[in-house]
Amino acid sequence: MLPNRHLAPFSRSGWRLWPGLAIASALIVLSVAGMGALVWETSLPSVNELWQSRYLRTVITFTVWQAFLSVVLSLLVAIPIARILARQPSFPGRSVLLRLMELSLVLPSIVAVSGLISVYGRQGWFTGLANDWLGASWNVYGINGIVLAHVFFNAPLAARILLQAIESAPASQRRVAAQLGLGRWWYWRAVEWPAVKPVMPGLAALVFTLCFTSFAIVMTLGGGPAATTIEVAIYQSLRFEFDAGRAALLAMVQLAICGSLWWMAARHGLTASLLPDRQVASHRSRAGSSLKARLADSAILGCFVLFLIMPLAAILLRGLPGMGMAFFPEGSFVVNPALLDATLRSLAIALPAGLMSVTAALLMLACGTATSRPAFTRLTDVAAYLPLMVPPLVLGTGLFLLFRPSLGASSQGLVLVTLINAMMALPFVLQMLKGPMGSLDSASRQQADQLGVLGWYRWRWLHWPRLRRPLALAMAYGTGLSLGDFGVIALFGTPGQPTLPVLLYQQLGSYRIDAAAATGLWLVLLLLALFSLFNRLGMPARKPGLAATSPSTASEPEHA
Amino acid sequence: MLEVKNLVFAYPNQNTPWNFQFSVEPGKCIAIHGASGSGKSTLMNLLAGFLQPQSGDILWQGKSIRNHAPWHRPMTSVFQEHNLFEHLSVEANIGLGIHPGLKLTEENRQAIERGLEKVGLGGFGKRLPGDLSGGQRQRVALLRAILRQQPLLLLDEPLTGLDSDARDLLRQWLLEQKAHGTLIVLASHDEEDRQILADSVCSL
Amino acid sequence: MLNRAFTLLLLAITSVPAIAEKATTLTIYTHPSFAAEWGPGPAVKKAFEQTCDCQINYVVLNSGGDILQRLRLEGESTQADLVLGLDTATMETTRQTGLLANHETDLAALDLPIDWKDPVFVPYDWGYFAFVYDTEQLPNPPESLETLIAAPNDLKIIIQDPRTSTPGLGLLLWMRNVYGDQAPQKWQQLSGKILTTTKSWSDGYFSLFMNGEAPMILSYSTSPAYHMAVDKTDRYQAVEFKEGHYLQVEVAALVKPSDKKQLGRAFLDFMLSADFQRHIPLKNVMYPAADLGDELPAVFDQLIQPTEALYFDPKAVNENRRKWLNEWLDAMTR
Repeated sequence: MLPNRHLAPFSRSGWRLWPGLAIASALIVLSVAGMGALVWETSLPSVNELWQSRYLRTVITFTVWQAFLSVVLSLLVAIPIARILARQPSFPGRSVLLRLMELSLVLPSIVAVSGLISVYGRQGWFTGLANDWLGASWNVYGINGIVLAHVFFNAPLAARILLQAIESAPASQRRVAAQLGLGRWWYWRAVEWPAVKPVMPGLAALVFTLCFTSFAIVMTLGGGPAATTIEVAIYQSLRFEFDAGRAALLAMVQLAICGSLWWMAARHGLTASLLPDRQVASHRSRAGSSLKARLADSAILGCFVLFLIMPLAAILLRGLPGMGMAFFPEGSFVVNPALLDATLRSLAIALPAGLMSVTAALLMLACGTATSRPAFTRLTDVAAYLPLMVPPLVLGTGLFLLFRPSLGASSQGLVLVTLINAMMALPFVLQMLKGPMGSLDSASRQQADQLGVLGWYRWRWLHWPRLRRPLALAMAYGTGLSLGDFGVIALFGTPGQPTLPVLLYQQLGSYRIDAAAATGLWLVLLLLALFSLFNRLGMPARKPGLAATSPSTASEPEHA
Repeated sequence: MLEVKNLVFAYPNQNTPWNFQFSVEPGKCIAIHGASGSGKSTLMNLLAGFLQPQSGDILWQGKSIRNHAPWHRPMTSVFQEHNLFEHLSVEANIGLGIHPGLKLTEENRQAIERGLEKVGLGGFGKRLPGDLSGGQRQRVALLRAILRQQPLLLLDEPLTGLDSDARDLLRQWLLEQKAHGTLIVLASHDEEDRQILADSVCSL
Repeated sequence: MLNRAFTLLLLAITSVPAIAEKATTLTIYTHPSFAAEWGPGPAVKKAFEQTCDCQINYVVLNSGGDILQRLRLEGESTQADLVLGLDTATMETTRQTGLLANHETDLAALDLPIDWKDPVFVPYDWGYFAFVYDTEQLPNPPESLETLIAAPNDLKIIIQDPRTSTPGLGLLLWMRNVYGDQAPQKWQQLSGKILTTTKSWSDGYFSLFMNGEAPMILSYSTSPAYHMAVDKTDRYQAVEFKEGHYLQVEVAALVKPSDKKQLGRAFLDFMLSADFQRHIPLKNVMYPAADLGDELPAVFDQLIQPTEALYFDPKAVNENRRKWLNEWLDAMTR
């Protein structure tokens, strides 16, 4: 009698390997082709130009320096916040706080910067307070502002990922640590650090790349052309000079710096050993439950909440008058058709984009586990982050040159926008799923292998129950990022039908400041609703695992 | 018949490799005996296909299964612990042994319930493994192994750390399986286990 | 599950309404402030479609620079029949693509501060770059470029980056036009007053100026018209500089590979008629290119009326832009 009477669908190891590998290769080919098409168009200038031009040297140094500072500060904020949130699993408003943390990254930069300026600008609430009460002379323009904005965007994301990692620390370890009565420092060393260590290199590289390629924020808050990132230089050479060679050269510099960082991160990520995560039922540690410690926790958390919520409150206050106009134009409730259309159009792009990025991320991760060859794993790892490293303008222009003859109908353009949005969200989504996807310990893997729980069955019964929450979060990020996207859609042009961020810019271009502020607020609320919805979908069924034996009755939740 | 022929394995930093050799008939139990670190668990993993030997062969009914994937080998393993998927109910854990996609018939379900009653866990089907005691968990793991109906059982210290009532019950049960023709490879420190269950002993 | 994902995707794609193709469709590449729902685009489209058996299809690109970029990328295979939304800073580069045809339009109706005889580009509106200030924060703004440059550094202004924004480039040309080779030194003197240099006009206006971060921002002389006519506030005004103001003219042109040149020329003729021009003042917030007579909204009389229009020949801009930009960068990063 053969043990594999019931062969699982998609159980050949090729099914795990090839789709992911195909996606990774496609990403690499697209990026290379995008840049290659630019180089094809003109000739590459001599590399010497890089070292001879004082301007370019300054730009590269500045780009690296501000990104480095931003990473360090973002992580310095994120680590204590993640630890406190892990220590305090149930305080009122915790889940709202988590939703707000998820929000900051996906805010369109013009909306977020407006909020930040209301708080930290020359006329900001915080600035008034700091100058009058603390006697400090705070000035947001310059490196402070850039780093501040980057911390606002990235620290909550980092804290969110770290929290997820800490929460997945093996319960047995946490119990032992609690029994030993470990102090905060030793608890960090014994339990938390081993849990966050595997995600740290990737996380740092992610934040670094985001800040490295940051553009509008750097310019708005940087104060002047001394604060210029490589992206600006690329934009300039492509948009006004059409110096494709120079743009390609700069893109390569960017790719080289960020790419080598990712390569290193991928190597370190691999060596980090995964601890068995057998216990799902969580036994929270009581570490640091003394009153004093809890007060300290509350104080730190309070500061963080203020940091996060004040700019959002400013966006709310600013958007409210326009909201009234948008929804109650003549005193009665009417949904503004332009806003409604733009919302639906945005969702029609963002939801498939989110779904595609999550699917692609899962396939790429599966590919990483399907092979014992580290080169493949590293390849998929790095390929996923390419969309962050290749400047969108370069990629878009290059792809446009390649697909020029076949690009015509507007719906094709929108499909392309969806695809590219999915691609841009991939690095974040992958980062969310990487930890939980790899969390199947070796004992479980061996059991599953022997029982023939492979392919689709393994996914359904072993991965899915653990991945539900991370998947929901990843889906929310994937969708949210495309929803707030302005860059990609602006690059490809739209047939007069705006998405929400495009609508916002259109309103600004026509001086409709109040309407634009309202659209910004509406976008924020929509994103908040989206994150809440996905969080709800990610909640485990009311009685976890109990209904598991009856697949016919067990609800199989949708991803979307 | 299970034949282990000159099976050689060494971990990367190990100087003298292990060398395993024995054979067993169906319906018999062989006890693997040796001190800690003598390679008992390694042998179990080699048989199950979780490790690949450097040389030698494993034959089942005269055919080599050395290069078969774990899911193509006619055996079920039960270890001292970590046999169950913690996020799945007892019923689902057992069910995965019957159908790896949990597509269970009504008949299967009844078989699971009857089995649970037999080992004194009637009505525990919906519980999570975390709610059970160590002895109860081992009973569930063994029940899965038996309901999976493979001709070979690989038991790696399955009764260690259980109370005497549970031990007696499970020993009784294993004897029954032997009588039905199941071949058992048992790694155990316990003298009593060997005396009651084993027909032959392989010392490492 | 994959199947389900695919179905969802298909649904999403097909739910995006496709544009109904009519026999003759005039495709116009333009930018968002023209094509927006409240911009002149929709009204113009409606008016023109009544005069012909055709349909206008706007392809909206991010800015004038993107229109040029798209045209250049598409080359001979471009879908555009017309481009609308280029300006005096980008038109020369666009001309050099060789993708534009002569307009053959009678330019007699034009009412611009300068003489316009270009065979390719037809102006549809114009305006001056100017500093807009907040009268509540700054009751006495500087009255010339010179006094602005000489003002103490606690007067803060917001400008846009000439590398990425049209008004930003406008100021660069303005300074160059007034100061010639002295411009870099003047930029250095000015730099202490520059609060920040934003990527685009929108970033500066929305995030900073309307939040009260600085009392002055580089914008257009017509900006107050919208605030006065629609927001009903006199708070934001442009300041008139004694040296004169740099002129921006927005233009449209016919695309050479187009097979609907006749229709395209009809549109360019229509562009200078009152049916098109009357939508410009309040919907594009610029001066109309042709005299509207009494139809010009009253608020336009309250705007500054610079006596001198500063203007470089587009050819000269094209030849020197890179050099001037580098001078500016050098001056500002020193």
